[in-house]
Amino acid sequence: MQAIRVENLSKTFRVRKKEKGMAGSFKAVLHPQTEEIRAVDGVSFAVEEGEMLAFIGPNGAGKSTTIKMLTGILYPDGGRIEVLGVDPTKKRRQLAYLIGTVFGQKEQLWTHLTPYDNFRFSGAVYDLSERETEERIEELSERFELGGFINTPVRNLSLGQRIRCEIVASLIHKPKVLFLDEPTIGLDPVVKENIRLLIMQMNREEHTTIFLTSHDVGDIEKLCRRIIIVNAGQIVLDDSVEHLKRRYPDKRAEKMQTFESPAGHVEPSAIPLEEIIMEIYKSEGRDVSP
Amino acid sequence: MSTAVKNQLRVCLLSVQYNIMREMVNKVTFLTSVGFMVLNNAAILAQWFILLRLREDVGGYTMREIMLLWGLTAASFGLAHILFARAFSLPELIIGGKLDAYLVQPKNVLVSVITSSTSVSAIGDFLYGILLMGLCGLGLREWLLALLFTVTGTVIFTAFALLLGSVSFWFLRMDMLEGQVVMGMVSFATYPDGIFEGVSRYLLYFVVPVGMAVYDPVHVLVSFDAAMLLRVLGYAVLLTAVSAAAFYRGLRRYASGSLMGARV
Repeated sequence: MQAIRVENLSKTFRVRKKEKGMAGSFKAVLHPQTEEIRAVDGVSFAVEEGEMLAFIGPNGAGKSTTIKMLTGILYPDGGRIEVLGVDPTKKRRQLAYLIGTVFGQKEQLWTHLTPYDNFRFSGAVYDLSERETEERIEELSERFELGGFINTPVRNLSLGQRIRCEIVASLIHKPKVLFLDEPTIGLDPVVKENIRLLIMQMNREEHTTIFLTSHDVGDIEKLCRRIIIVNAGQIVLDDSVEHLKRRYPDKRAEKMQTFESPAGHVEPSAIPLEEIIMEIYKSEGRDVSP
Repeated sequence: MSTAVKNQLRVCLLSVQYNIMREMVNKVTFLTSVGFMVLNNAAILAQWFILLRLREDVGGYTMREIMLLWGLTAASFGLAHILFARAFSLPELIIGGKLDAYLVQPKNVLVSVITSSTSVSAIGDFLYGILLMGLCGLGLREWLLALLFTVTGTVIFTAFALLLGSVSFWFLRMDMLEGQVVMGMVSFATYPDGIFEGVSRYLLYFVVPVGMAVYDPVHVLVSFDAAMLLRVLGYAVLLTAVSAAAFYRGLRRYASGSLMGARV
């Protein structure tokens, strides 16, 4: 069964244009000019229940705008969205009970409160009883190993501890779909690996659908079987990670050896996924070289 | 009361409780903010004492009416900033794309947003307002009316700030205008309405709603007038409905943002 279905989704932002300097500022006051930026342009895809999907693209490609439309934060200009059969533009509150969100760049926790108090607040937000909230906090606290800092104010936590708490807060009501927008941004490799394992465990045990955006290829390789790449608001690739590797054989290796196995199968490329993704970004006219 | 309303109230109360807990983290700052606000208000009122020793009334107001005016303004403004402080800084959230956290919650966005912050010094305003009204020697019926008008004043101040703040969905930099108009409204609310005539009086009743928030309630407290009471109640309901409609209409234009940010 499909958890997410998106058809021909689009969103345009109107951005003010201003020429440089003070003169430009005065001119903008007298003759304001705006430019339309098509952030999402006719995007269609579906995600199956329990699937872990990587939704990636270069900066400004439309990933966050898409995720915000799927979660009911932004209104689309056109197209159709269904998340667990609910249209976010019409039944945002009903949908909110069914989904969880983690935005790595935006804290959703109250920084002056402890994680425990934050989780109690989340429990109230999702209409859980005191007992249900306590049980869920205990369960998630054990799974995410929060015992050592659950009563420390969030502002005093390390980034890794905070992200773990953000994820726990988003899971308090057992969401069926979890939207993760760059959840491992700024984390060290050990903490990243830890977070990935926890996400995998959650997907396995609670059959949670994961919709992930990340610039970290490690997140994609370790978590997702399927990848959607967007660029300039449009989908440029929708494929399995494994097949993607087969489609983009290592040109350097090609010169030295064949990819045909004895059984006649094409072996996956030895080229790192990160380089394949960079090639796709570049081929769409985006220069992503450092 | 429906379960949904009960659950929404539970979240609002927790939110206000957590806001006050945040402000009380530094006890010294908390107590001095509250105390200095009471002193500030008292210092300005002292000028009225001096002025009203020189003449019998100003704009038809004696010292008792001035105290009622100040008491009602301080209590309403204070309560609005204790419960709904975020309504007064809405443009910052809209322009900065900081409404996301409220939009992913299964609760009323507007209520969740405006109850998400508390002003500490407003506790001083509120206590001062109640104290002043207490010094006016009100009877039981007058006290009940004073508390009702504190609520309607809170609603009118908040709804007006919400209406102005919601304009930020369409126009940038409304934060400056909102701040000036709201503070101007509070300033006007501390002068007797009898000194305003013609256009300025019309503006204070129908454009900047000081008349409905404070002047009419003071008149009802001094001399009961059922029609005036109903007018105040009706206006509070109407302004709330218009402001909420403007907020939700504007929310469709909300553009979010990608700036790093924390919920503090």
